[in-house]
Amino acid sequence: MKRAIPYLRRVIQALSFIFLLYLIIKTAFPLELKIPVDLYLRLDPFIGIVTLLTKKQVILRMLPAFGVLLFVFIFGNFFCGWFCPMGAAIDFFDRILFREKKRPKGFNDQPLRRLRYGVFIFSLASGLMAFQVMYLLDPVSLITRTLVISFYPPFIYAFNHFLPEIQNFLPKKLFIMSTIPMPLFKVNLLIFLFFVTILALGVIRKRFWCRYLCPLGTLFSIFSRFRVLKRFVTEDCTHCQSCVKGCPVGAIPEEAPQSYRKQDCISCFKCLECPPEAVSFRLSSPKWETVDGVSLSRRYALGSLAFGFASALVIKANPLQSESGLKNNRLIRPPGSLPEEKFVSVCTGCGECLKVCPNNALQSTLLEAGLAGLYIPRLVPRIGYCEEFCNYCGRICPTEAIRDLPIEEKRLLQMGVAHINKTRCIAWDTEKICLVCNEQCSYHAIVGDDKKRPIIKEEKCTGCGICENKCPVDGEAAIVVYASGVQKKIKPEPNNAKG
Amino acid sequence: MDHSPNKKITRRQFIKGAAAAATLPLFPKLLPPYGSLAHAAEEADMVIAKTGSPSQLLQAAMAPLGGMGRFVKKGQRVVIKANIAWARTPDQACTNNPDLMSALIKTCYDTGAKRVAVWDHTCDNYQFCFSRSGLKETAQKAGADIFSGHGRNVYKQVEVQKGRKLKTAEILRDVLEADVFINFPIPKQHFATELTLGMKNLIGIVWDMEQLHKIDLHQCIADINTIRKPDLVVMDAIRILTTNGPKGPGKTEDIGEVIVSPNIVAVDAYAAAFFKHPKTGKPFKPEEIKFVKNAYELGLGEINLSKVRMKKVSAT
Repeated sequence: MKRAIPYLRRVIQALSFIFLLYLIIKTAFPLELKIPVDLYLRLDPFIGIVTLLTKKQVILRMLPAFGVLLFVFIFGNFFCGWFCPMGAAIDFFDRILFREKKRPKGFNDQPLRRLRYGVFIFSLASGLMAFQVMYLLDPVSLITRTLVISFYPPFIYAFNHFLPEIQNFLPKKLFIMSTIPMPLFKVNLLIFLFFVTILALGVIRKRFWCRYLCPLGTLFSIFSRFRVLKRFVTEDCTHCQSCVKGCPVGAIPEEAPQSYRKQDCISCFKCLECPPEAVSFRLSSPKWETVDGVSLSRRYALGSLAFGFASALVIKANPLQSESGLKNNRLIRPPGSLPEEKFVSVCTGCGECLKVCPNNALQSTLLEAGLAGLYIPRLVPRIGYCEEFCNYCGRICPTEAIRDLPIEEKRLLQMGVAHINKTRCIAWDTEKICLVCNEQCSYHAIVGDDKKRPIIKEEKCTGCGICENKCPVDGEAAIVVYASGVQKKIKPEPNNAKG
Repeated sequence: MDHSPNKKITRRQFIKGAAAAATLPLFPKLLPPYGSLAHAAEEADMVIAKTGSPSQLLQAAMAPLGGMGRFVKKGQRVVIKANIAWARTPDQACTNNPDLMSALIKTCYDTGAKRVAVWDHTCDNYQFCFSRSGLKETAQKAGADIFSGHGRNVYKQVEVQKGRKLKTAEILRDVLEADVFINFPIPKQHFATELTLGMKNLIGIVWDMEQLHKIDLHQCIADINTIRKPDLVVMDAIRILTTNGPKGPGKTEDIGEVIVSPNIVAVDAYAAAFFKHPKTGKPFKPEEIKFVKNAYELGLGEINLSKVRMKKVSAT
């Protein structure tokens, strides 16, 4: 029984990863799944705490995350070992790529172990100042973003590529299957490389990322000091070192295998595979004391704190972020987004909205919104437009950075205003009749004059971008949407009231 | 009767069969098309049915034309090009009437169609169009497949031999290969081309629809119609959109008519009169719609309604 637990854990890890994949695949049109498709993100207490700091408001959707913390008091850092999809991916690749035949030379990893506490303090400090770049390191957000942006489009590409080949083999007219419109994300390569780097760190140590960098793991570590389920070793221990070798996070010191660093233990129960069966886990009263803790000196803690505040201040003084500074008016935010400054600090860049958008309209930014706005969604109308009767991005945003608005409210929200480039427009520039924009506009915001040339009615335009998307002019469209700064409601039309 | 495989044909059966095989081709008129015994006669080339429920209208309109059996034979594959271009509700008259579509699909199956497929290349996202218009549910309930042309692999590059301006186009493969092709448009006001009629509905079988605007929209609409002439046009004029077309929402008008004909230009010429010219305030003349005129010049059909055998029937 005892020996079955590690296998059970591996199965659960795999299932957890597959479940995440399933949720991501289901993050699409009709969106009728009973469980929230952003479940994993909602269960992430690191996101919960940092958004609480940045938004300075309780986010209802993130409340389950604090429930997870309660479990940590009992089982310790169980999430990392059993359920974390990032941990599952790292474990899998460590297993197939970096099988340790010989144990690497032990080195004093005390400074490295201290690093993640520094990173954690830094993120809390900068979070207080509403700068959230640390979401980039949150494992759940990271794995979701990587799967959506880097792995989902190639999958569709392969599907579209092989579909006609497969159909050629089958009897004709048996079934008709369309290829899927190719999802395109500009930053896919960068995110892919980041992910590969994390996996490659496994060459130094197993679960390098989890041990030394992951901020969510750090949070769990702090809480799992009070864990109730603890490891005990009887006197049968022969110092065979098999648990030391086996521990995926190196929580068992070589010289004293009877003890363990309970804050680092991820409750994988691999040490139960002890040859003399000397190891057991039992409930016992919580204690703060531990062995071989990181000596987080006052200097180190204050330094991290100061660095966090300083970076947040520098970011705030950047023209891309500052209120009075330059505004990128091509940076159209999804409908119902919080005001820019709040939006940038609350959005975790998980990429769920990019996946759910039926028209591939949402894209991750790279540096258009500055370093603080890395991987945050924007509407790029030339790639896709905002569907009139869709509010999916608001419905699945785990941190409510995009507000969950009813359809009727969302469709009347002005994100931007379209402008015509008359030197490029077919109707203005030539004698031809075009007016694709007029026919596509859902809001009657583009009317034609007596010569059938388009004219914008700014007060009716929502900036959905369907005109820019469908404009038949090659390259840059002849009608371009510019962000309107603050999103505001437009007046409903009398005969447009009920959609 | 014995059905054992070894049983030989009796002499009497053989003579009977041989006689039938030899003489029947001599009387071709005696062989009615499958499933249309009741309405074998073709009394008109265009029928307009008024007053009645959608299914009654369709039934009443098809009878003088020779019944659906004249167009759909047993075992054939039918493709219907519907208008599901926009994510609008049925009452806004931007998409087809669901009841009429259901009746049309059922009539095709009743006359022995093997499979009916409903196609459209939507302008809005196809999932939203299909669900909001209620037409996906309708089509599937009636037993038809419903497809959207959002993937390029379902198109086939063809040369438009009779086209004046459009030389090549990517057309839905299923439309080209279907045994029977039914055009199922809904007339609407359209700012750029004045009206959306039967012929403009076929823009939705083209892959890059927006590019046609760059060439010459009116001529392209006519050119596209030379590629595959619909075997039958069923125009859904039960409720039409008279302003803010083609996407709406705008003012609607309940005409309550269903127009059926194999002649697409004649249908468009008739339907043009539902709408008033914005300048003169009088009903549109067929010649005032440029693509109808262009199609007539290409020899696609008759624009002069006095030359068309027209019949108006009441469904109830």
